[in-house]
Amino acid sequence: MGNRVSNWFKERINMEDLPFFRTPDYMYHVGDWLGALVAAAFFYTVISGLIILLYYDPAAGYQSTETIINKVPYGSVVLYSHLYGAYAMIILAFVHMFRNYFVGAYKKPREIVWILGVLMLALTLGASFLGYSLIGDVLAVSAVDVGAGILGSLGLSSLVPILFGNYSAGDYTRVLAMHIILVALIGLLFLIHFFLADLQYGMMPSRKVKDKAPAVYPKSEWQKFNPWWPRNFIYMMSLIFLTWGFILIIPNALVYFTFPQIANPFLNPKPAPPPNSPAAATVTTYPPWFFLFVYKIADFPGSVLVDMTIALFIPLIYLLVVPFIDRSPYLHPLKRRVFTWIGILMMIYLIQSSLWGDLAPGVPVSMSEILEVYLPPAIITGLGIFLIPWEKVSKGLSKGMSNPPTMLAFTFVTLAFASSMIYFLTTLSLASLATVISLGSIFVILAKLLTPYVMRAQQDENAVSVEEASKVLEKKKRIAQIIMIILFIVAIPIVVTMWTIPPTGYYSNLFGVDLGVLFLILGEEFSLYHYVVYKKPVEKEE
Amino acid sequence: MPLRFRLNGRDKQILESTDLAFLYKLVRVMKNPKTKFNEVDFVTKGEDYLFNYVNNNVGGVDEGRRNFLKGILIGVAVTTVAGIVPGLRVLIPPVQSVSGFPKTLILDSSGNPIKASTLPVNSPIIMVFPYPLQNEINFLLNLGDENGNPVEVPPTTVVVPQTGDKYQFPGGVGPNKSIVAYSAICQHLGCTPPYIHFYPPKYVNISQVTAPEPNKLTVQAVQAAKSAKVPAIIHCDCHGSTYDPYHGAAVLTGPTVRPLPTIVLEWDSSTDYLYAIGAVGVPTYPMSSNGVPSNDPSADLDESQFGASVGDKTEISETNPFSS
Repeated sequence: MGNRVSNWFKERINMEDLPFFRTPDYMYHVGDWLGALVAAAFFYTVISGLIILLYYDPAAGYQSTETIINKVPYGSVVLYSHLYGAYAMIILAFVHMFRNYFVGAYKKPREIVWILGVLMLALTLGASFLGYSLIGDVLAVSAVDVGAGILGSLGLSSLVPILFGNYSAGDYTRVLAMHIILVALIGLLFLIHFFLADLQYGMMPSRKVKDKAPAVYPKSEWQKFNPWWPRNFIYMMSLIFLTWGFILIIPNALVYFTFPQIANPFLNPKPAPPPNSPAAATVTTYPPWFFLFVYKIADFPGSVLVDMTIALFIPLIYLLVVPFIDRSPYLHPLKRRVFTWIGILMMIYLIQSSLWGDLAPGVPVSMSEILEVYLPPAIITGLGIFLIPWEKVSKGLSKGMSNPPTMLAFTFVTLAFASSMIYFLTTLSLASLATVISLGSIFVILAKLLTPYVMRAQQDENAVSVEEASKVLEKKKRIAQIIMIILFIVAIPIVVTMWTIPPTGYYSNLFGVDLGVLFLILGEEFSLYHYVVYKKPVEKEE
Repeated sequence: MPLRFRLNGRDKQILESTDLAFLYKLVRVMKNPKTKFNEVDFVTKGEDYLFNYVNNNVGGVDEGRRNFLKGILIGVAVTTVAGIVPGLRVLIPPVQSVSGFPKTLILDSSGNPIKASTLPVNSPIIMVFPYPLQNEINFLLNLGDENGNPVEVPPTTVVVPQTGDKYQFPGGVGPNKSIVAYSAICQHLGCTPPYIHFYPPKYVNISQVTAPEPNKLTVQAVQAAKSAKVPAIIHCDCHGSTYDPYHGAAVLTGPTVRPLPTIVLEWDSSTDYLYAIGAVGVPTYPMSSNGVPSNDPSADLDESQFGASVGDKTEISETNPFSS
């Protein structure tokens, strides 16, 4: 009976023939699926946002935020996870972007996919800023003031009423509408981005298969891979639910802690006091964390126009045109060292400026401080990247890489990194921060270069046959199966407790934690199912 | 038990028993006329045809195990749904269950508690505060005589002309028992300040008949005030309804057929603060249309009409209708 029903659907929906990219076995790793994580965060945020939209009243922003948190059943669970869904989306979008930057995914023929992605990142930051403004607390109001001030000094003050409407009079209708419009735009661009990336070009083959652009599988070749249904579906489900689990657990657990001021922009999901309350006077205002870097760069000497050019326009324009500057067909990061170097610096500067903005918000900086903070990472990473010999890397890190000088250098970097970390923790100054980040990145690069060699050395010793490998795999699958059963058993008492959690008040956020754990379990079940059913002993990169 | 044979003195495994079962099943399916294996398709489409055929008809290796895992997966999915179900309460809008009138401290327009002894007598400035819900505004009045001295407002019985019903007006409060509060929404058709407001004694005379809106009085209103011997009145410019603030806002002239509801005040003599504690008379317009005086707060506490409860504090806002 069940079979007949499923066959009925099978015949009509015919999932095997969906035109999505067919995926080779070796691509079922999260590194190849970062876009799915961003999309998962996006959809979570949209769904939770629509629930909030049922209650939010733009005529009384702060009041209705408070009502949602305190009066609506599980309102705080939805609101806080909406915030952290957006956070997750921003972080994952950055990770997705930088990963694709370093593997050279912006190269031919994926230029448009890349440009759409960069535009979506900009829209995401914009939509997040507007969403943050909707809270209407003292932080949101001051963030909007700063934003309006920046627009004003760029000569764009006519944009302020277009974006924010009557915000200063307490009417958030326009901000709410703009927030939704930007999100809708993201959704639209996402469709094109996904269509091109998945259906048109397919996922990028491993560098071992294709180390030059255009890195695409010919359609005839990709027909051999796994169809979307059911394997990709199952893998995707595991990623979605794991992402949703973290989005729910983190904010709803953080609610029960209090943080020192420097951690507040990152870890405190609760709104600050309203701007017209006496308590507002004592609040240190700061922008949302994803704009801390802009906030710090605005403290640089020079006009606002110069600062914003540095903070926003140059990086944005660079990212938009990088497919047209970097025209070499090579994909390996060390075959395009300048771009790799710029990418690493962008990452470092982003983190550095954000942390600096958090530690010293609004404190003007001098030229010498700027050099002190931003020059060392440039020099250290530059030296590191340009001194790594390509020949040795390209030969799959032959023994030459692990000769005594290299090992000595690695030991030195490791020790220097460790001591700089201690130095940073004890002094907490900007110079120490700069040192620890740049030494850390060198350490990561070297470690990554050396580990494959070390790992392979181990593997070679006990070279395993396919037969042996499948035996080991079968053992692992048995363990996975047991874990699946245990997780199922764990899930049941969690659900039972969820039915007893009050919908409002202090304990209501535990519902969010529990639901998050449940999502994690479900995601893990999908992941284990995928492992047991589909994992092959040898998944060669074809 | 896997199939093995012995080669050069070593055990060599060739086939798992599960694989054997799979092969057996596959061969049977291939022979079955219903699911006949098409050799021509196989030759033209190659491997793909075989894979799809096996996937569709045999379901790969170890179907039992796969079904067991599927069962667990579906079980966890169902469990998760069971966990989401109580969360669906997020869709139920919170209903504020107000069972009675709140006791609400009245604040001045800058947010400080208002002092009863410093409240100006016969003030021409309209002072309204929301109570018990955010959209239900009420006048706060300190009544005096023609010379501006506060007068005691005694308790009295008020008649509702529409039905003839009667109710008890509690009288003024404060150091001189001269402070009263009435709904600022006209009972005739719901006009609000500045169209309806208090006229201090110096404005209650015939010269006000030619004053511009919203300060215009009708001849009937001036005559009614004179014949009732009240120095000041509440008058609505929309259609000319007049109320007597000294006697529970009873009707002086139509077209209104109901007095303004009274907000019951409480004066704390030690702090000099004023609190709103309830309402008497007909419900706030438009809930009052049946004209029946009600002490049932639900009539006044219908959120769909008047917004959320003001809570324990309510703030006065001031406008001066006579300024222009």
